[in-house]
Amino acid sequence: MTCLIEFPSNWMNASALERVLGSSCEPHSSDNTDIEFSFPAGSKVMIDAGLRLLSLFNQLDFSTHRVRLNFEEGQAGVMGYLNRMGFFDHLSPMVEVFPDRPDFSGADVYGGMNTGLVEIARINREVRDAALPSRLTDALMRACGNRPDASDLEGAAWTIFAELIDNIFSHSETPLDGYAALQVYPRGHRLKVAVSDSGLGIMETLRPALQQESPVLSRLSDLDLLIEIFRQGVSRHGTDRGCGLKGSAAKAMKYKADLDVRLPNIRVLLKPGIQGYRADTAYCYQQLPLIWGTHICFTFRLDDNC
Amino acid sequence: MNEISVVIRLFDFMERPEGWGRSQGRDVYQKLITFVEDHPGVMVFQVSLNGVRRVDISFASETVIEVARRYRGSKGFCFIDLTDADMLENWEAAAERKQQPVMVWKDNVGRVIGMLPSQGNQSAFDFALKRTRTRAADFAGATPGMSIANASNKFKQLWQQGFLLRREEAAESGGVEFAYYRIG
Repeated sequence: MTCLIEFPSNWMNASALERVLGSSCEPHSSDNTDIEFSFPAGSKVMIDAGLRLLSLFNQLDFSTHRVRLNFEEGQAGVMGYLNRMGFFDHLSPMVEVFPDRPDFSGADVYGGMNTGLVEIARINREVRDAALPSRLTDALMRACGNRPDASDLEGAAWTIFAELIDNIFSHSETPLDGYAALQVYPRGHRLKVAVSDSGLGIMETLRPALQQESPVLSRLSDLDLLIEIFRQGVSRHGTDRGCGLKGSAAKAMKYKADLDVRLPNIRVLLKPGIQGYRADTAYCYQQLPLIWGTHICFTFRLDDNC
Repeated sequence: MNEISVVIRLFDFMERPEGWGRSQGRDVYQKLITFVEDHPGVMVFQVSLNGVRRVDISFASETVIEVARRYRGSKGFCFIDLTDADMLENWEAAAERKQQPVMVWKDNVGRVIGMLPSQGNQSAFDFALKRTRTRAADFAGATPGMSIANASNKFKQLWQQGFLLRREEAAESGGVEFAYYRIG
């Protein structure tokens, strides 16, 4: 069966992506042998949505679906932006692209030359890019270096990126790569850092261990447990571990960052309040269309100094 | 204590100035353990952070904090040259998670991260921190209403929880007694 998924003809962030996927066919369903994703004229993709799409396309290809991407405006439109970010460098060669794949990689040619972005970086445990957290941090500091608390922010940002990426190495038992990227949105006064992997997902690795380690936590719903991972730190390796994600969330909160975590079928959007990230101020979404892995995005608000 | 303490430069055990992630942390942990085992007579290891630019919480948790927990009661680990606020926060988060007290020394002033002594043991801990070596009798003698047995009990708890070290030494009156040492 062929499934057609059409994206909006304007900006699409992770929330808009969920709305599209939620109202279309279930891409991972084995009923869908052919899936076409259409990017109409005017379509623009924010980095959080872009990384999730990259992971989804590669997952579908890996699970033997035929995937076709149709870019109505060709290189003049969103395809040009995705190419600049290195999207096609990481897209499975089996995925069909219309009208054509770009002749050259914008990320290869212009990589590192735009201070407002960090091109999509591959996260693979066999090929660990030791400089990646520093590259992401440097990009953030180029946007926010004039802040009075710039030095503190720099350290906090490095820790956040280091923990997020290391979490992929720890959890992602998959042949598919993970990805990280950063984009500054000056007009929207936002900076987004997105990390995405196609591994087992936090719940799949955590749940089996929790039944013995912490029966109380194991009775929580996936959504509540996900919030606890970021609030109190929960690890499959025992009670003395699991401080990495909690610690990075605590640092992000100090700088009033929103946190978006998408697992295979659920998603929480955490907005910091006076008492930190809390279950009762989280936006929760359940029974979402399947996307394997863990997809995290921090959105920092940029003030006038950034 | 000075003759039985050594300075470890953590950077010498790392491949780069950034300590990132569990995997790198576990490699450094093994090197630290080898170093400690190669110095059997040393009680206190002062971990200098000179040259270390950053560490994340996972790396912190797998390295010095885990080593400190492993040798709790027999060997002590403390930090020196720890000036970066963000890095301190990460060591603190890792120590807190493992409930492992670790001393941080700056200009001869020490403070503990990871966990605090109980309220009942705080004054005994403060007393011990001001001295390189002390005994229950010293604390009891300096504290009105404190019996030696009570002082001894407090020091023992602080030793078991990893706040202090202790050694069995010859007492002036003959026999043996425990001497307690601050870490650092």
